[in-house]
Amino acid sequence: MKIGEPEKFIIDGKRLDGRKPGELRKVKIEVGVLKKADGSAYVEWGGNKVLAACYGPREVHPKHLARADRAILRCTYSMAPFSVTDRKRPGPDRRSIEISKVTRQALEPVVFTNLFPRTAIDVFIEILQAQAGTRCTGIVAASMALADAGIPMRNLVPACAAGKVGGEIVLDLSDVEDNFGEADLPVAIVPQKDEVTLIQMDGNFEKGEFEKAFKLAVEGCMKIYEIQKEALKKRYGGA
Amino acid sequence: MTRRMVIPGEFITDKKYNLGEGVYREKDGIYSALMGLVDEKENYIRILPLRGKYMPKVGDFVIGNVREIFFNSWELDINSAHNGILNADDYYKEIDTFNEDLLDILAPGSSVFVKIREITHSKKVYVTMRERGARVITGGRLLKIIPTKVPRVIGKQRSMISMIIKETRCNILVGQNGIIWIDGKPEFVNIASRAIRVIEKEAHNPGLTNRIRNMIIKEREEL
Repeated sequence: MKIGEPEKFIIDGKRLDGRKPGELRKVKIEVGVLKKADGSAYVEWGGNKVLAACYGPREVHPKHLARADRAILRCTYSMAPFSVTDRKRPGPDRRSIEISKVTRQALEPVVFTNLFPRTAIDVFIEILQAQAGTRCTGIVAASMALADAGIPMRNLVPACAAGKVGGEIVLDLSDVEDNFGEADLPVAIVPQKDEVTLIQMDGNFEKGEFEKAFKLAVEGCMKIYEIQKEALKKRYGGA
Repeated sequence: MTRRMVIPGEFITDKKYNLGEGVYREKDGIYSALMGLVDEKENYIRILPLRGKYMPKVGDFVIGNVREIFFNSWELDINSAHNGILNADDYYKEIDTFNEDLLDILAPGSSVFVKIREITHSKKVYVTMRERGARVITGGRLLKIIPTKVPRVIGKQRSMISMIIKETRCNILVGQNGIIWIDGKPEFVNIASRAIRVIEKEAHNPGLTNRIRNMIIKEREEL
């Protein structure tokens, strides 16, 4: 079912799904859901359902990829055929290869890869259901899976998008807003160091709007970070 | 004693400590790099991880499984990112590699209890059987647990493991890599492996040894 372009995105200060401009969708994170993986996480973010699994440090195959001074981090983002309205042809495509790459680059700065020379750390991100913002959801899930696998890392990596719809800057675009809005700005940060590890932009912002959107996205990231911390602590009965 | 649980990126302290496993220093203090429990000693601090792969350490006893055979060495799967290498010279008795085939001595799939002798710069892990306690494993059952829980299964001064051995009358060898070998009467092996599963699950709770003892005694009476 495709939804057509709405006439107005924001009515009486409320968005199409009833959220305020600076409000996130509902986020639920569960850690350690898979038994056979070294670490795993399941994230529900609005209509997104994402499963991430982490394996490693383990042997590198093919061997020539191994680095003598550090571990290599490999991320694979893949969408299930049933994750979108029209069936998605399974297998890697241009888009998922790009997202795999930016996910890896978003996570690499926080992982202490130097502790595990000649090994590989594999992260698999499986999109079970997609509804705008899967790359952010994927990064959130992947960083939780890494932490659950007991891989030393500087910090968790939260991610969140901001964008522009109907001339207004809003947080965490929904699918309609993503398809027909003016701009989308996914951001991933390292909260403790105020570093940005992912920033992409789709569409156009006007002068000054970019900064506003970026600030809003970082605020969203910090909210996600709190949920991440809570989910990880909950796994072992809090403390 | 309950220890504080931390997650990656969590601030621990701004006091001066030597750094152990799982912590890193920033300008304003010491942070955790792992999900685990803080272990503060007099002059150093570390994290006891809740999960994680086994990383080989010289001097550890591990249980390895023969994967591959070369002219004068075996390659062992030691449940880690790196394989163990057992040279024919490190076998517990002399082998004349020109006349004997290593296949006839240890076939693929056989298990050995070995000590890690050396880890080279290029992460080759050499193990040896010329060490007290090292042996070839025959019979029994192998159990795999999360390697970070191994110290809990062994207990302080081997208190936990010797209690299980005494109460179940089984032979048990615990590899630091999370592989455990249990041999004995099948019913007792069942009890011992169930007990170890419980320890793995509740490793972070105090006073476990007595509870496990009661559990074993109860299950033994029900036989």
